[in-house]
Amino acid sequence: MADKILKKAGLGALIESVTGKGGRFVAPTTDSRQVVFKKVKSAEEVATDYILARNSFKEFLFPQTEVVAEFTMSKDSVDMKGVEVYAPQTVVFGARPCEAASLAGMRALFTWDFIDEFYTKREENTVVVTVACTKGDDACFCTTVNLSPESTEGTDVYLREAADSYIVQAVTEKGKKFVETHAAVFSEGNAKAEPLFMPEKIANIDIAKVSARLKDKTHYDDKVWARLTSKCIGCGACTFVCPTCRCFDIVDEGTAFEGERRKNWDSCQYDTFTLHASGHNPREHQHQRWRNRFMCKFHFYPEKFSSKGCVGCGRCIRVCPVRLDITEVMEEFSK
Amino acid sequence: MNNIYLPNLVTIEDIYEEAPDVRSFRLVFKDPKLRDTFEFKTGQFGLYSAFGLGESTFCIASSPTRKGYIQCTFRKSGRVTGGLAQLSIGDTMGFRGPYGNHFPVDEWKGKNIVFIAGGIGLPPVRSVIWNVLDRREDFGNITIVYGAKTVADLVYKEELKHWEERGDVNLVQAVDPGGQTPDWKGSVGFVPTVLKEAAPKAENSVAVTCGPPIMIKFVLNTLLELGFEEGSVYTTLENRMKCGVGKCGRCNVGDVYVCKEGPVYTAAEIKRMYNDF
Amino acid sequence: MEKILRQKAKELLESGAVNVVIGYGWNRSKTRTTPVFITDPAQADTLVWNPLCVNNLSLYLTRKFKEIKALGKPAIVAKGCDIRNIVVLITEGQFKREDVFIIGMTCNGVVYKQELWKGELTANIMPTKCHNCDVRNPHMTDFVVGEKTNFTPPEVPTGMVFDKIKELDSKPQSERWDFWIKEFSKCVKCYACRQVCSLCYCERCITEKNMPQWIETSAHPRGNLSWNLTRAMHLVGRCTFCGECERACPVNIPLNLINQKMIGVVKESFDFKSGYDEKTHPPMIVFSPDDKENFIK
Repeated sequence: MADKILKKAGLGALIESVTGKGGRFVAPTTDSRQVVFKKVKSAEEVATDYILARNSFKEFLFPQTEVVAEFTMSKDSVDMKGVEVYAPQTVVFGARPCEAASLAGMRALFTWDFIDEFYTKREENTVVVTVACTKGDDACFCTTVNLSPESTEGTDVYLREAADSYIVQAVTEKGKKFVETHAAVFSEGNAKAEPLFMPEKIANIDIAKVSARLKDKTHYDDKVWARLTSKCIGCGACTFVCPTCRCFDIVDEGTAFEGERRKNWDSCQYDTFTLHASGHNPREHQHQRWRNRFMCKFHFYPEKFSSKGCVGCGRCIRVCPVRLDITEVMEEFSK
Repeated sequence: MNNIYLPNLVTIEDIYEEAPDVRSFRLVFKDPKLRDTFEFKTGQFGLYSAFGLGESTFCIASSPTRKGYIQCTFRKSGRVTGGLAQLSIGDTMGFRGPYGNHFPVDEWKGKNIVFIAGGIGLPPVRSVIWNVLDRREDFGNITIVYGAKTVADLVYKEELKHWEERGDVNLVQAVDPGGQTPDWKGSVGFVPTVLKEAAPKAENSVAVTCGPPIMIKFVLNTLLELGFEEGSVYTTLENRMKCGVGKCGRCNVGDVYVCKEGPVYTAAEIKRMYNDF
Repeated sequence: MEKILRQKAKELLESGAVNVVIGYGWNRSKTRTTPVFITDPAQADTLVWNPLCVNNLSLYLTRKFKEIKALGKPAIVAKGCDIRNIVVLITEGQFKREDVFIIGMTCNGVVYKQELWKGELTANIMPTKCHNCDVRNPHMTDFVVGEKTNFTPPEVPTGMVFDKIKELDSKPQSERWDFWIKEFSKCVKCYACRQVCSLCYCERCITEKNMPQWIETSAHPRGNLSWNLTRAMHLVGRCTFCGECERACPVNIPLNLINQKMIGVVKESFDFKSGYDEKTHPPMIVFSPDDKENFIK
């Protein structure tokens, strides 16, 4: 049986087809000596030789800074009105299977009783086109968290790389619709998929054990936290590149007469994040903040939303200025 | 589009100076329809906006038995509360809420109730106190133990006087050692100690407490020592919040999100939680 | 070198001269180095020394790290460039010279970023600072590990950073402005640059002061510009060009350019380079009648 094929040379046509219909096309591209997800206009901009983009594509669903309301003030009146979400039809091309798997958790959180339409509307209008990994590095650990380059969780259209084409598999209804809408750029054919890069499962880590240990409160005051994480400098870079981190702040900006209310990325690694007005801070030490992040990933998300809080993309490891490796902590908690 | 971050506009109808840097606002919704339909339960909280400065979280300090308005009490301590403190009667601010769970007041019918509060922890308890006092016949003995750093720092001075005088409430007021004035007639000592001395009886009683985290921890222990059952002791945790709706990731105590699963907890629930508040 | 380093660390811990040795160790797969805090003499053998030892560990001597301070008197494994930061911390009264035992490492350069390492240190993977280093023989130490090197830095500083500054300086103001606006537009306001900097030791940073809100927290061009310029100004006459901020930046903003440019200005105006003498105060905190006034126009 013939496969559905997207010629690599036909990527430009796909981009045109998407942008021609008013959509935005997001893909890994080289900027400032690194590959990052950005909006692109042509195939020339799309990077092909990369392991993972430095940032996760979450910023196209949950932007770093976003206006949620606007207000005007005069001497005797104040008015505030909401802002409509900017949710254009979006294609995220070249995501990896690991990061696509982050969407279930994000959605669960943003729809937890109160529906944050700034997230949901954007996500609903986004098609995630995953390209399975043919290369990786020693920070990759998807297989350790029960994912792999073959996982299609969160993926709408799954691509396997071949010599001069991609083998296309529409995973979801949204994905099927996407392939139909842009039918002209896809063809039927046969291609031989290149072998996938399978990161070796880290031997001493048992993810079920990690979650079970975290559920047992006795770990909380364990000295192991300080021992493993006191080198953390609290820069929060890990949380900014993480596909599942989603903490934010709400701030007002503007002049005395008009302004806007914004939702901005924030990080649980900052010392002021939980600081009370009284000066009391429930997470006073860096290791407590680090513990919070680790628990969020391996306890809260699985427990509360039955979804993955960590997808093993390894971005936090690559970006950490002091090379604090989350898998080393996972290993400790698998004992 | 349904925008969960968009506040409702409210007008400041009255302002009460409670203590140095602490004041209360009586707020009414600008939208007349909302003014009539707005409902909340005692113990719930909201996010209050000073436009241009941001939002701050505090409980609704009035009782749901008093319709048509809500009251909030805050201490001027940061950017938003500093901005709120500059507003005058007739000014507009924002309110989002009500959020969170509540005190199960209906389940307490026929029981004695002990309220224990410290400093700026009285406002959330005040909502329960008035809720209970407005249905006084439903409950047994009512005891209020309230302490602050100094005499000046006691909030709701007028109401304290009223509670003292009304005869059906046993009010114990206290200030921390060194905080008393020459004519101070109340107790001197920290709230947990004063509570121990007051020794309200635990039988058929529930207790409600709020105050600084360190006070809450000690008061919970004292109550258990006095024989209160873990399931009958309630507190409300006032962690820092930004969204109020379980998204922003700030208020969690271990795996418990205070904004969604709280802010009201029993001592039994607190015991099961992580020691992190 | 590693052997002598480990021996010294062990000796210091065993004798009780220090309580903790702040140094470098391996990650699990021994592909990257990571900071370690050794308190047990038996663990001294986990200390490593190689061109992957990029971190400026002087960061951990600052008051930001209360938990490390609580471990007791520290010894620190430091390259000459790291020692320059320690000098600045001492001149700024953060601690006294005798509060820290400095194990100075003779250095032939490190990699710009650890991921560039392919098993051999070549000129093209070294940061600009290493090519112009005048402290390869560490200058303020209690103990030196390694043979003295004869490396002399070039008279005219060379390397990518200097080339780029020259290129930018030759451009009209508007183009320079555009260049920086474009670079800063990438900023995600994670403040990794601040957190990794041992000279950014304020307990309450200006970004955290919101009455008034000096720096808008949103990652938009206005907020990004005010943050990056404010930080640059706060480092004038202090920054030693250790390069940690640029290394830590997750979006690759060329912060070394700003910092080196400022260093050049300070050198020109005050004939001062920070981090060499713990008894000399930096120019921005002293007044001298000879100070230039040509900035008043």
